[in-house]
Amino acid sequence: MAQETKTRDKAGDSEYTAVGKPTIRIEGVGKVTGQTKFADDLTFPHMLHAKVLGSPHAHARVKSVDTADARQHPGVEAVIAAADLPAYKMNPSNRRGVIFAVDEVLFQGQPIAAVLASDPHVAEEALALIKVEYEPLTAVTDPISAMEDGSPLVRSAISDVDRSEEKGHVTIDVEQEEAEGAPSNIASKINFSRGDVEAGFAEADCVVEQTWRSAMVHQSYIEPHATIADFDNSGELSVWTSTQAPFYVRDELCQTLGIHESKIRVTATEVGGGFGGKIFLTELITAALAIVVKRPVKYIMSRKEDMLAATPAPFAQVELKTGMKADGTLVALKARLIYDSGAFPGAPVMPGCLFVGGYYKCPNLHIEGFEVLTNKVSVGALRAPGAHNATHAIESHMDIMARELGLDPLEARMKNAVEEGDPLPSGQPYPRIGLKDCLRAISESDVWKRRREVEGQANRGVGVAIGGWIGGLQPASAIVGLNGDGTIDVTVGSADISGTNTSFQQIAAEVLNVPLSSVNVTTGDTKTAPYAGMSAGSKTTYTVGKAVKLAAEDAKRQMLDIAAQRFEASPDELSVADGKVHLDGDDDKVLTFARLGKMTTNFGARFAPVVGRGTMSTRKSAPGFSAQAAEVEIDPDTGAITVLGYAIVQDAGFAINPLSVEGQMQGGASQGLGIALSEEMKFDEEGRLLNANLLDYRLPTTRDLPPIETIIVEVPSEEGPYGARIIGEPSIVPGGATIANAVADAIGVRVTDIPITPERVLRALGKL
Amino acid sequence: MGKVNISFTINGSSHQIDVEPQWTLLEMVREQLHLTGTKEGCGTGDCGACSMIVDGRLITSCCMLAPQADGSDVTTVEGLLANGDLHPVQQAFIETGGVQCGFCTPGMIMATKALLDRTPKPTLDDIREGLAGNLCRCTGYTKIYEAVMTASGQEI
Ligand code: FES
Ligand code: FES
Repeated sequence: MAQETKTRDKAGDSEYTAVGKPTIRIEGVGKVTGQTKFADDLTFPHMLHAKVLGSPHAHARVKSVDTADARQHPGVEAVIAAADLPAYKMNPSNRRGVIFAVDEVLFQGQPIAAVLASDPHVAEEALALIKVEYEPLTAVTDPISAMEDGSPLVRSAISDVDRSEEKGHVTIDVEQEEAEGAPSNIASKINFSRGDVEAGFAEADCVVEQTWRSAMVHQSYIEPHATIADFDNSGELSVWTSTQAPFYVRDELCQTLGIHESKIRVTATEVGGGFGGKIFLTELITAALAIVVKRPVKYIMSRKEDMLAATPAPFAQVELKTGMKADGTLVALKARLIYDSGAFPGAPVMPGCLFVGGYYKCPNLHIEGFEVLTNKVSVGALRAPGAHNATHAIESHMDIMARELGLDPLEARMKNAVEEGDPLPSGQPYPRIGLKDCLRAISESDVWKRRREVEGQANRGVGVAIGGWIGGLQPASAIVGLNGDGTIDVTVGSADISGTNTSFQQIAAEVLNVPLSSVNVTTGDTKTAPYAGMSAGSKTTYTVGKAVKLAAEDAKRQMLDIAAQRFEASPDELSVADGKVHLDGDDDKVLTFARLGKMTTNFGARFAPVVGRGTMSTRKSAPGFSAQAAEVEIDPDTGAITVLGYAIVQDAGFAINPLSVEGQMQGGASQGLGIALSEEMKFDEEGRLLNANLLDYRLPTTRDLPPIETIIVEVPSEEGPYGARIIGEPSIVPGGATIANAVADAIGVRVTDIPITPERVLRALGKL
Repeated sequence: MGKVNISFTINGSSHQIDVEPQWTLLEMVREQLHLTGTKEGCGTGDCGACSMIVDGRLITSCCMLAPQADGSDVTTVEGLLANGDLHPVQQAFIETGGVQCGFCTPGMIMATKALLDRTPKPTLDDIREGLAGNLCRCTGYTKIYEAVMTASGQEI
């Protein structure tokens, strides 16, 4: 192959037997044989299919909804609009608190009504029979002009904004001001300052000022949103859904529908890709429909609906001014970030503001962020939400300044890179981090080393950029039980979206010193599993993994106690190996786990079952950084960009499963490349999406992506299991800037907007 | 419209059934035959999640009407197991980490099988060309390239 994947090779010198080794996925066989059940693969007796009518307008008054004809359509079981639902505790300011549009639609595709039928085709046909009378209103689509005084308003005023979902992705104490005063489209503002920014610019030898834009992009998991709900006569609601966040779904359903959490069972089915986009969306509407008909209801979004009405990632404009001294010291940074939130608040401008000024030590900075409403679908999280938009700007500036001052772009970054103790723009100090280690490692990558060779070759370039993420924090718990046959069951409440259950298998096997094959891991539903936060914010291994380790240690302690009683020894004289408890120094005193299992589960057994319990909570995050490099070639006639080589370095803290860590890094990098090169949700002036399909919304294909050179570095975190830190998100962050810098290196001019499409390249070259 | 009676072979077993003429092959296989291994990611021929092999050719089953399968020999991901053993392509996808969420996987595996049936020792370029109709959002393809190399007995 063109480039080989480098893996950290610790096999020889590792002190561990299970963690740190490349391990194949615990659920792999089910997935390659097609036996794994995704939500759409489940059916229930008497199940109805839901089809949802979305608004064709981005902004309109809903004058009437007439469902009479649709109800008459043969095979239709029910047609349900807002008026047919009980008075739930809705909150029109929050996307999560709205089922159907009432009075006013705020974005194209916003649900108006639903049809239920046993045959999905029948339900689909009946949608056309629902008569809705709209009075179109001005659609506000450009967030920049929407900020101006006197702009038409996107919607009625907002209040009581719930930011709980965002906190799952990035947990940090920062105040976001809700807009006050005269009605405006600005949903919130944020402000960070330090030092004296004007004095800083006065000191600088190079000042660069530029406006950068990044498009609205879609998570584009290959499995669209999918949910089944059922409501029985005892008042219990069951939901099977493709979510990263089963407990969060339960809590949200409880709040809106007024059903106790103890009466809601949410089962996270296998998630066919989430990337931040599968938190809470189709669950509320499906549950509400099931409550009306008291039959199981399945709602699978079509790809078009998912493109129109899920929760993509925002368009952002970043106006950035930076100043550097001749020796490469960054002395001033001023930024204004505008994130397009769509029709409801929730744009990740706060992390954007943190990271635009959070990678480098800078004594003087002033950062302002605005979250602006428009009549577009409201945004949600996409892997490190909000970070790539800001990173595109600051990492382009670092390159431009280094170039102008004749400095090596990696050295300029190294000179200013943040380390443990340095403050984020919000003032919080970083814990131990590995940014500098990532910079060192990328300088050793094959792709970066090609720079010298590529220099001087027309239309070829190499670029580099960094990116990082803080991660979310939520308490977690786990159960580790010994079965009667000596095998081990681990039960967690976290959805496995990235191979975390395999890592938990490794952790339990490590602690109990048993082969992987003796350990199974199950994600339970919200009624049977111990609590875990959402699988978002890259926190699952960091938090739930820690809980599994504690639970396995607890189980081990219980097993040693039983063996100690049996051997009339003290537990410290005992150890576990090969599925047995051994009395040190006496080869005859051995108790197999299978025997222990029987001794704790059989009829009349003397000992209580072994059930290890692990619970944890931490306020300390374990930020992750990534450095990436690209080699590109530009066709000067068509503007087409070919990625010839790509390298990613990431600090994993400790890679519990290097195979899945590499997979997360490569996957995130490829999404960053999509953001850099081709992904863009395009709207017309009326706020209608022009590319609601996977042909016109271009995801990277095998033709676009070379094999990615993958280098793990490990700077252990302080609290993660075995030193693991956040993994999933940092990899998506630098892609836009990496490609932008490589393109600038290739053609000598800057394209300021991502994706860098052939058209934008030709414009930058003055050929269009 | 009345149903259409068709006969075909799927994964080695013969069927004769009545189908709705407007149903796709994908719907028939998933809803009528209850073989849910094949996935629907887009329904418009753009993602490859619904890939099957029909009469030796890789097709997107969301774009083929069920009656068009009359007289055909269809293979889905469920048809790859031989006496309960994984097909080498399936084994390679697991071993190399070519599977993440698994939603593209059945289609990707069928596309790989079709590629290797045609080109038993593909180069990296052959692989990148041969799988270009199958989107994977999770892996960035690197480990899928490795899976195909491994399945075809080549060094990575
Ligand atoms: S579902 Fe058939 S190509 Fe996407
Ligand atoms: S493994 Fe998730 S889409 Fe390929």
